[in-house]
Amino acid sequence: MGLLSLLIFLPLAALLLIVLLPKTLQGTFKYIALGFTLFQFLLAGYMYSQFDGSATGINQLSGYRFVEQLSWIRLDLGGLGQLEIDYLIGADGISLPLLLLSSLVMLMAVGASWNMQRKAKGYFALLMLLNMAVMGIFSALDFFLFYIFYEVMLFPLYFLIGIWGGVNREYAAIKFFIYTLFGSVFMLLIIVGLYFSVTNPETGAHTFNMLYMMNPGNYIDGSFFAYGSSNAVWGIPARMLGFIVLFIAFAIKIPIVPLHTWLPDAHVEAPTPVSIILAGILLKIGGYGIIRVCMSIFPDASASANWWLGLIGVISILYGALNALAQKDFKRTIAYSSVSHMGFVLLGLASLTAEGVSGAMFQMISHGFLSASLFFLVGVIYDRVHDRYIYHFRGLANIMPKYTGYVAIAFFASLGLPGFSAFIGEAFVIIGTFNAESVGTGIPRWMAIAGSLGILLSAVYFLWTLQRMFFGKTRLKGSEEWFKALKDLTVREQVILFPALALALLLGTMPFLVFDKLNASVLNLVTLITEQL
Amino acid sequence: MSGLPYISPIYASIVVVGLPLLAFLLQAIRGKKSTSGLFALVSIALSTLISGLFVLPQVWQEAPVTATVHWFTIGDSVFTLGILLNNLSALMQFIVCIIALPVHIYSKAYMKGDPGIHRYWMYLSLFCFAMLGLTVSKNLFMMYVFWELVGIASYLLIGFWFTKEAAVAANKKAFIVNRIGDIGFLIGIAILFSLFSTLDLVDLFGNEGVFAAGLYKDTGLITLAGICFFLGAMAKSAQFPLHVWLPDAMEGPTSVSSLIHAATMVAAGVFLMASIFPLFNANVLLLMAIVGTITALSAAYFALCQYDIKKVLAFSTISQLGYMIAAVGIGVWDAAMFHLATHAFFKCLLFLCAGAVIHEMVHHKEHTKLDFDPQDLRHMGGLRQYMPKTFVLMSIASLALAGFPLTSGYLSKDAIIIAAFEWAAQHGPGYIVIPIILVIVSILTAFYIGRLIFKAFFGPIRIPQIDQQAPHIREAPQTMLVPMIFLGLGSLFFAFSLNPLSYHQAEILTGFSVRYAFEEIHSLHLVIPIVLTVGALCSWILAWKWYVKGKYPLQANSLWITRGGEQFGLDELYKKTFVNGTLALGRASQWCDKHVLDGLIVHGTAHVVKSLSRAIYWVDKHIVDGLVNTVADTTYYIGHLLRWVQNGRIQNYFGFAFTIILIGIVYLIFR
Amino acid sequence: MITLTHFLVVSACIFCIGLYAILAKRNAIMILVGIELMINAAILNFVAFGKYDKLHYGGQIFALFAIVLAAAAVAVGLAIILNVYRHYKTINPDHITDLRD
Repeated sequence: MGLLSLLIFLPLAALLLIVLLPKTLQGTFKYIALGFTLFQFLLAGYMYSQFDGSATGINQLSGYRFVEQLSWIRLDLGGLGQLEIDYLIGADGISLPLLLLSSLVMLMAVGASWNMQRKAKGYFALLMLLNMAVMGIFSALDFFLFYIFYEVMLFPLYFLIGIWGGVNREYAAIKFFIYTLFGSVFMLLIIVGLYFSVTNPETGAHTFNMLYMMNPGNYIDGSFFAYGSSNAVWGIPARMLGFIVLFIAFAIKIPIVPLHTWLPDAHVEAPTPVSIILAGILLKIGGYGIIRVCMSIFPDASASANWWLGLIGVISILYGALNALAQKDFKRTIAYSSVSHMGFVLLGLASLTAEGVSGAMFQMISHGFLSASLFFLVGVIYDRVHDRYIYHFRGLANIMPKYTGYVAIAFFASLGLPGFSAFIGEAFVIIGTFNAESVGTGIPRWMAIAGSLGILLSAVYFLWTLQRMFFGKTRLKGSEEWFKALKDLTVREQVILFPALALALLLGTMPFLVFDKLNASVLNLVTLITEQL
Repeated sequence: MSGLPYISPIYASIVVVGLPLLAFLLQAIRGKKSTSGLFALVSIALSTLISGLFVLPQVWQEAPVTATVHWFTIGDSVFTLGILLNNLSALMQFIVCIIALPVHIYSKAYMKGDPGIHRYWMYLSLFCFAMLGLTVSKNLFMMYVFWELVGIASYLLIGFWFTKEAAVAANKKAFIVNRIGDIGFLIGIAILFSLFSTLDLVDLFGNEGVFAAGLYKDTGLITLAGICFFLGAMAKSAQFPLHVWLPDAMEGPTSVSSLIHAATMVAAGVFLMASIFPLFNANVLLLMAIVGTITALSAAYFALCQYDIKKVLAFSTISQLGYMIAAVGIGVWDAAMFHLATHAFFKCLLFLCAGAVIHEMVHHKEHTKLDFDPQDLRHMGGLRQYMPKTFVLMSIASLALAGFPLTSGYLSKDAIIIAAFEWAAQHGPGYIVIPIILVIVSILTAFYIGRLIFKAFFGPIRIPQIDQQAPHIREAPQTMLVPMIFLGLGSLFFAFSLNPLSYHQAEILTGFSVRYAFEEIHSLHLVIPIVLTVGALCSWILAWKWYVKGKYPLQANSLWITRGGEQFGLDELYKKTFVNGTLALGRASQWCDKHVLDGLIVHGTAHVVKSLSRAIYWVDKHIVDGLVNTVADTTYYIGHLLRWVQNGRIQNYFGFAFTIILIGIVYLIFR
Repeated sequence: MITLTHFLVVSACIFCIGLYAILAKRNAIMILVGIELMINAAILNFVAFGKYDKLHYGGQIFALFAIVLAAAAVAVGLAIILNVYRHYKTINPDHITDLRD
């Protein structure tokens, strides 16, 4: 069993252990979860350090590291040929940083669930299941395997929101579930279509292998998704249709405007650790899927549709930021800020320049732990007084100086202050997008300028929240009772927050830690697509 | 500089930048335990020393020294960290140090006893680090990083007293307005990067750079880049119409205002313009000249209408920054830098003096427990007798600001105005408006600063409930006076030029040796200084009559004054248009989210699906199931009908049995 | 001359009377009597048709069997009626409808 498999299936071992232990040992579950995720994090860190940045990844199996390939399902379908499903996993410069990020965010989430008492067994078991699914998604290179992990991820999330959530949890859980399922069901259709269009050049059998799907030579002439085929559905060329459907499936996850409305509800209703996972990992699956699936398998379609992708990105940036400005619930503000910040990811990807795509990847990673910290910070205050209405707080800096310090740092890091990671991400998305017109990828310059307005707006809503909640004379809605309840950060909370913010600073000052691993893969991706321009 | 060991200016300058960072980190770690500000003081003192001894002398008038290290690679583009030391950057670094040092010392007394003093020192060190880093950055990306870092330091220091509502509103405003400029800066960077694939200042603007060699096409994009960078400078250097944050920023401690919002950070815009001067083509330069002139004029007028001593100085700063930008616009960026240097000294001194006055006024206020605004000029007057040294120092600074001979301001202001006339003469008759306005502004400047001095230090004592015998208003303490005296010396001519009457010998100007694009007109060099000096004197006589003799001819609440005090409602206008507009847009998008996207589309879809399923359910229940039920019901009904046969009466059973047998027999018989 | 027909007519009459008793009487004893009458009608027929079996006297022998069986049946029937009476305190079959569904 390779390292990557170990990484994926470690949580499964934790899950089994938690399930098998009797309920009387409830107190140990969190330690089990913590132990396993910590080990997982260290493992991911080790793999990250071992990864050499020259691996080009994307469409060549030789460009991947930690590859494992096992025949999984072989079925003779008679006239339909041989069914070939492999257990094929591997990591390249795109997925490995995200794997490391996921393990970190999971660690944070476990830390944030430290006081979870209610049905702890089920809770931690589901958390571990989710962990496994996420790791699987980021490493699967077989589309069938990918889809399985993708669907497995949905199930624990639904219950985590639906059982441990807030007042309106059922509504939020169902909304989240249906939104995601809506995307993934159609994805299945495309997967099947691709399956029948692509053959394994070695065996001649149909295959689910994503890497084969990325090579135009493996498409059967005249098949539905063949390059240059004249197949069309409702006047849309087949390959464009496949791209659009897959894009929608992942765009819901990112999320883009107007497919984002599940996000504020899900974030607000979910318990803090689940919000952390949602923002820190789940949204990245959208971005990752667009890179790994949409853009790599349909480079021709993405080369011609990138104007629209860019437009959607810009709209998401501005619309999310404006919405964040209008919210009165602290957590909703953060949730909408996620929409805005993830818009940069889409814009960067659409630019099809090395700077833009790298910036988008960097933004994903940076947003991963920054939004996790932000949601954790919201959770801190909600834990204490069970309220997060912005107008109910004022002058918190006087009674919670450490908390205010952390919030201020997290806010400034998120609004793109240089020295923190979000700045590198956003600045290079803007620079890359601006450069796109010179390179000729079809993204106009005004998109970069409009996107940069999002940076301005993010300063507006973060500073407004800071001013409204933390500065001024202390006035609280719950008066004396709240004064007593609002204790400053505990050691546990600081232990969780400090590494995330330190990482933001580290990556902001030493971005090469990520870019060095990323560059070869990004360049390969950009070449793959720009060849089709 | 013989006798001193040679230290590479690069390393020296890294130390200069690094020391405040170290102080910041140490102060951050020590937190409340360290309130003396020792780290900050020692670090800035050392920085000043090193900058003055090892950086400036070795770089001044020498070939630029640079050092570059690889930072990171994105795709194929390499981004570097680097230090660029040339006349401009070394000078700027030194100015920042030499201003920051006295302010640090002054703060020691001024901020004494403040409960948040540890934060003060921390932020101040952060600012020094960022500002010093900004001055020696070798590429624009790095410069942008420091550019924003000084912004955040300024944000933190304006909102230092975060329980004051006005302070936190002001720092938010400052940061957001600056962000507008930052966006411009970022776009500018993006343009240059997409055109030249490099952001290195030497590669772009150096002697062998892209612009010097003319290796570029002067397209609209270059103009746009120029405008974008200028936008960045406009926000940072508080140019009209983005100047609105600076008056509000006076909510911070006065020592902060003097360092950041008068001498150094706000001048960063001018510094940036000077650094990337070759980028600007004629159109952008003209725009800069116009904007600078408008700023100078409007701010001078607004300064006239203020009663808050710090606000007067704030508008004065804006006005002077307008001068500098206008100077860059007419192509004499060396004069702009010269004015920047002189202005740094005298404006910093003005603020420190004002701080000393406010310090005593607050002291008095706390003692008498009265409720009055300690910064309001209307409550001052006659302070001369209580604070003579402060008065003298402030007068020197005021003279420098007004451009009176023998002061440093005289030299730099003349340099700009004379160059402006020469420039206008070169370009045509319409351009003469700009230098004329600059002259008018200069006279206005003399008037408003005279007003300030006369109102605060002369005339009757207007301080409420002052005890003439034992006043609580005393001269500023030594710790505050020494830095002020130092700055006062820096405001005199000999700090910059040995010739008190001509700017041509000024070291800074000779150092840059910029070749002007217009011809020198000798007569102007005589006429202009005389006009300016006479104008200033006249305005002072007028001000003396009005404010000291009390022959005030105007209505204090006339519309021109009250509206001018509110900048003709500019803030209000911004609030109504941009702020409320953005908020309304935010609310609209929230409404759209709630009612259109979520309400109409998501819930609408859900509703349609639900209705559809209800309809299907109806069909299922009434049609499909109905059919089945009908069959069942019929069977049941028939069964029900036959049920009475089974009535339990044995005789009936007999009867039936017999009847059936009978029927059977009949059937057998008749078949 | 009394012919076979007379026997059959009498037998039919007795059968009908028995049938009537079974269907119409409100007393279980009377129904039992009706049953006896019907059996007797059948026995009468046996005896009457016995004239065609002069060799073995099958008719008479069957008649004897039937009489014995009838007696046994009456005994059982009476016992049932007795038990029914004990249970229901009546022997009117109209009131005993427990066989109803």
